[in-house]
Amino acid sequence: MKALPRLLMATALVAAPALVPVAASAADLIVGFTLDADTLDPANHRKRETETIIRNMYDGLVTRDANMVVVPEIAESITQVSPTEYDFKIRSGIKFHDGSTMTAEDVKFTLDRITVDGAMGGQTSPRKGLMGPVASVDVTAPDTVRITLSEPWPILPAMLPNQQIVFKAFVEKVGDEGLATQVNGTGPFKLAEWRKGDAVILERFDDYYGGATDIPPVGPACVDRVIFKIIPESASRVAALLAGEVHIINELPAFSIKQVEANDGTQVMTVNGTRSFFIAMNMEGEYFDDVKVRQAAAMAIDKQLIIDKILGGNAAPIDGILSPDAFGSSELPKVGYDPEQAKALLAEAGFPDGIDVTMDTEGAFKDTAEAIASMLTNAGIRTTVTVGEGAQLSDKWRTKGAPKSGDMFFTSWGNGSLDPFDIFTPTHRTNDRGNSAGYANAALDALLDAAAVELDVDKRRGMYREAEMMINADQPYVYLWVPKDIYGVSKRVTGWQPSADSRINLHDACLN
Amino acid sequence: MSLGKLLERLIQLIPVLLGVSLIVFVMLALTPGDPVQIMVGEQAITPEQEAELRRDLGLDRPMVERFFLFIANAVQFDFGQSFYHGRPVADVIAERLPATIELSLVALIVALATAIPLGVLAAIRKNSIFDRLATVGSLLGVSLPGFWFGILLIMLFAVHLQILPVSGRIGYASEVPTVTGFLLIDTLLAGDFAAFGEALRYLILPAITLGLPMTAILMRVTRASMLEVMRQDYITFAEAKGLSHRRVIFRHALKNALIPTVSVAAIETGSLLGGNMIVETVFGWPGLGRLVVESIFLRNYPLVQAAVLLYAITYVLLNFVADILYTVLNPRVKL
Repeated sequence: MKALPRLLMATALVAAPALVPVAASAADLIVGFTLDADTLDPANHRKRETETIIRNMYDGLVTRDANMVVVPEIAESITQVSPTEYDFKIRSGIKFHDGSTMTAEDVKFTLDRITVDGAMGGQTSPRKGLMGPVASVDVTAPDTVRITLSEPWPILPAMLPNQQIVFKAFVEKVGDEGLATQVNGTGPFKLAEWRKGDAVILERFDDYYGGATDIPPVGPACVDRVIFKIIPESASRVAALLAGEVHIINELPAFSIKQVEANDGTQVMTVNGTRSFFIAMNMEGEYFDDVKVRQAAAMAIDKQLIIDKILGGNAAPIDGILSPDAFGSSELPKVGYDPEQAKALLAEAGFPDGIDVTMDTEGAFKDTAEAIASMLTNAGIRTTVTVGEGAQLSDKWRTKGAPKSGDMFFTSWGNGSLDPFDIFTPTHRTNDRGNSAGYANAALDALLDAAAVELDVDKRRGMYREAEMMINADQPYVYLWVPKDIYGVSKRVTGWQPSADSRINLHDACLN
Repeated sequence: MSLGKLLERLIQLIPVLLGVSLIVFVMLALTPGDPVQIMVGEQAITPEQEAELRRDLGLDRPMVERFFLFIANAVQFDFGQSFYHGRPVADVIAERLPATIELSLVALIVALATAIPLGVLAAIRKNSIFDRLATVGSLLGVSLPGFWFGILLIMLFAVHLQILPVSGRIGYASEVPTVTGFLLIDTLLAGDFAAFGEALRYLILPAITLGLPMTAILMRVTRASMLEVMRQDYITFAEAKGLSHRRVIFRHALKNALIPTVSVAAIETGSLLGGNMIVETVFGWPGLGRLVVESIFLRNYPLVQAAVLLYAITYVLLNFVADILYTVLNPRVKL
């Protein structure tokens, strides 16, 4: 048994010479990232995190700049031929990572693979829903692809950045399962190695055509390698940034901002997010069917105080569903913080002694929900927070058309395109998939349906303004805020800025 | 240990695995949360697309049929496609398993290498300052939550002292060809000693964090068992024969005192595999624990079912190993 202490000593001795400061290779830009990619197949996932990683290896017909403006990427120009037809002229000389030249046929193959039922080995792409009413894709000239819609859909260009072009011959060679782990794209980086669950290692593609001409600099990427290092735990991600092990981290918690700012060599970067937070009030329930009770709830909450104290000032208050940056957003009447008026409204509604309600939320938002609950309680809406799990809450509050149980639901809805179509309609149209409040307003339904296919930009903007005024008056939800996306960034990183769609585009990033 | 006994144990595995499969299957099916709804999330989908997706995932069939289909495929080692990875579940699990096993084994070694000497020392210096410190220390070791202790270690050794890495399994300058998936072995096979040292460095903090509660438990078991043994007649007899104290402790007492330690260690190794989830999350360790928890939240049924089966097999086998070790340490016991 003397062997055991010896073994301990031996372990220590082997480890000892290795105890030197940690240093990454000089030209590796490392991103501390929350989640690994599910797959590297651009057509077979539904996660933003997966798309963020894939997007550095694959380019799309169009892309967005950091300010969310859609600009041509693989396409040279876009022409709307008719309300339902768009022509995309393809740039010449674009190469895939293996040196093959990209053609219009690859674009058609890619879009067919997404939009045609069963096109992925019998399965239908989970990204089909992002392509709306696309009816067909045709190569009309050697360098031109035409997308035909079954009905007008003005947001096609805004939705197209979500799709990336694959190489037809390569997909046919490796198969759909092969494409889950192998990459042959046209993007600025090639796949070097995917250490699953640990890291995705990318190398610069030297024959890169340069990317979108509207997003300078145009040309091959700046750094030799970029690495998405998967660190799910926030505290560890922050630690890795402070230790200099990674250069960019996403989802920096608001309470770590000061720590990152105080540290030499790191800084905080923010960008307006696209996710709206709100509280659904069950309009089929016993209290919130009365607009006075809903208004009372809205008045009882001091949004600005929560934004300042819990979110570190990193959120924009909203009075309707749309983010201030979204298309169609406008100044709306504000519901001021007034707990006394809230109590009076409750009394008018027949509840002079207040009401007892519950508010569902996910664990991640418990603190904020508790703060809101205490404000509501002060105004006579005595609120108990119940923490549930995402899938279970989704079952309870988001089953399309199912009767609602429960009183309130603190939740959010993403709007990556910043177009009202994929946030306003799902959360407010009668019985739609995100209508947790159980709100039903036939006039609003008609307006939203008409706005979805309206091609006149100004008229469409006016329609969403009208819709926002309707819901501002009806208050099916307490509209809260749109948080900023917060990143911790090493001061060695230049040329990179966060993007509102939470993509981390590393083409232009350099490391000093 | 005869071959017959071994076979008997393996046959006993069958009802255990069937039972575990059934329980997991029913629990997953009864847990609220629809895999299709979770997968679709906020995206738009028509009822036809939803029905098709349900069919693609095999969720349109009745539950009983799904269960028997799972069993029929599982006996052929086909656990189906992961809902999210676009690849077979067996591949996805196989990629993550070595990292978990490697971390668990190193944590086990760390725990045994510290717990046994400390437990013996505490027993032979019963009621000394050392004994009291060790007892308090073990209480702390059991009580400290892994996520908190892990972050403390990271802040001290990785952020302030900068002598150990925050997270991951190995640096990105090292390119080690995967042979076994165990980095400590693969680096040696490649003859890359620098990479071996690096892999070891990445293991230190997670292994300590994972091994700490086990160290504490094993130390207390060793101490108690050692005290018990030291009171036995044969120890008094050995000392009366004039043997040196050291010889009495190491040759006569320790071997018997280790029996419960070994049993507990074998069982606890099973819980190391389960307890990995937190440590794997804190240290960004690309193991199975993290994958399984993510899969539970996503209701990725095939992956959860296969992983739980794997855990069950591991537990049963570890129990078996504990029994064998028992007979080696105590020849009076026969299986």
